Amino acid sequence: MSRHARDPSRLDRRQFLKLSAGAGAAGLLYSSGLQARSVSTNARIVIIGGGAGGMAMANRLSRRLDGARISLVEPREVHHYQPGWTLVASGVWRPEKTMRPNSRFVPGGVDWVRQPAAGIDAANRKVELGDGSQLDYDYLVVATGLQLNYHLIDGMSPDLVGSHGIGSVYASIEGAARTRDAIDSWIAQGSGKGIFTAAPTPVKCAGAPLKMTFTTLSRLEASGRRDAFQVEFMAPGAGLFSQPYVNDFVKQRFDDQGVTRRHHYRISAIDPQAREAEFTFVGPDSEFTSHHELREAEFSAEGERKVVTDYDFIHVVPPMSAPDFVKASDLIAQDGPFRGEWLDVDIYTLQHNRYPEVFGIGDVIGAPINKTAASVKAQAPVVEANLIAQIQGQALPLRHNGYTSCPMITGIGKAMLVEFGYEDNFAFLPSFPFIDPRDESWAAWVMKDRMLQPAYYAVLEGQA
Amino acid sequence: MTVTGALTILWYALAPFLWLMVTGLLLLVVVQVLAHLRGYRLLGYRCLGANLAAIAIGLSGLWWIPLFTNSSLTYVATVFDWAALIGAVIGLAVIAWLVLSPLSYLLRVRQPSPP
Repeated sequence: MSRHARDPSRLDRRQFLKLSAGAGAAGLLYSSGLQARSVSTNARIVIIGGGAGGMAMANRLSRRLDGARISLVEPREVHHYQPGWTLVASGVWRPEKTMRPNSRFVPGGVDWVRQPAAGIDAANRKVELGDGSQLDYDYLVVATGLQLNYHLIDGMSPDLVGSHGIGSVYASIEGAARTRDAIDSWIAQGSGKGIFTAAPTPVKCAGAPLKMTFTTLSRLEASGRRDAFQVEFMAPGAGLFSQPYVNDFVKQRFDDQGVTRRHHYRISAIDPQAREAEFTFVGPDSEFTSHHELREAEFSAEGERKVVTDYDFIHVVPPMSAPDFVKASDLIAQDGPFRGEWLDVDIYTLQHNRYPEVFGIGDVIGAPINKTAASVKAQAPVVEANLIAQIQGQALPLRHNGYTSCPMITGIGKAMLVEFGYEDNFAFLPSFPFIDPRDESWAAWVMKDRMLQPAYYAVLEGQA
Repeated sequence: MTVTGALTILWYALAPFLWLMVTGLLLLVVVQVLAHLRGYRLLGYRCLGANLAAIAIGLSGLWWIPLFTNSSLTYVATVFDWAALIGAVIGLAVIAWLVLSPLSYLLRVRQPSPP
């Protein structure tokens, strides 16, 4: 265990300028009375996960709590800007652009525990670490992110990404780069069939499989040989996206761009050497919004209709769930649509449904939407306020409205800024009155290409 | 969003181009100061060549600004897209004029005046 602390004598130019700007802003906040009051406590708070949610909470809580002992459990030294991976896999960004050292974001005064979490003993309020040691807590923030279950596709492994015509933007930053290379090779081949899949579970950045299809279509069209390529999209449900307008838009656009849509199929096996994939018919009951009803056992059920098809390129989207150690804990949902797979929280207060000292944020929570960095931006102030209220024995003051955002890239150079929430069948919640979420625009693309990464880092620092 | 949040986002967005902005600003200030020391007045001096060059530089933004954002003019579609792009083009032309006009003045006054 080591402690990360800023050494003022080692400020570089960037930090100096940033602190200067921050000091000016702090002055404004102070004078305008907007500064949140700090709260004194000696509570032990453990945050599991240093991704977007965990890092945002570490910064927010360390700023608000005076005297608290905050531990951030995160083994990785590098922070990945995962929303940029689709741009890497599309050949628009270099991989290095998505990486920053975690040390830039871990606030002073927080114990950065460079260990993976291995278990949670919720009854005794302990977190087990990879080295066998334990951390006791009074309050716990579960921000583990999710787990990619490639193993539920027979023959598939993340190591295969980039070889045998296999791509998968989710695998890792290296996987995203290798996906780009696999698409390059397919296009250089001059013809052939590409298959794009979606997963029969909730996934992080649910728009990513669609974005990968659209950006690849852009590249195929730019090659001047679009007609020589066959493109198919295999969807496990009837829908392609949870927001109804965008769902209809994407379907229509796929049809217009010559993408063959096949619904109610999930990828169940792959033979990399033969470049063949097996798809299992999951039936019309498996609608997009009820994918979570599929349990692991059902992934290998016998007697289902199967189709084997060849491919020249395939984009694999794996089933996803909470990490195994969360699934093995008592914090996992016991019933309802997220049972056995996702963290059991109230989707509005983000407090655990059975352990009031536990809160969840980010991809790990059982929620119908919300596995995006934009969701973390909306969830972080809610968890901050509600956790502090819990410490003070007060009623939880804030509720999350389900806000999530997907800059739906519909081609390299254009996008729709799709923002929506839980209410009114995932109605739009636009942040900017001058950007219509139903329009494809250059401005929305510029937001994705230039502005969202800065906004993401502001979220990590608890500033947005 | 807090003021600090907005400043943080702005900082991260502009940081990669800070060297370019500082260089451009220095160039502008140096040229303006030198020209003013030699009698240049912002609205009192006219040079058709500098004006046309500034307009050309501004208009060139229609091509390279979308390209700079990994896009193209083809995808500039909505009213807001056009408002943003035209705003950028006008800003670019004005900055170019603020450099080129005094620069042209400096080049002219350096030449020996007729007896």
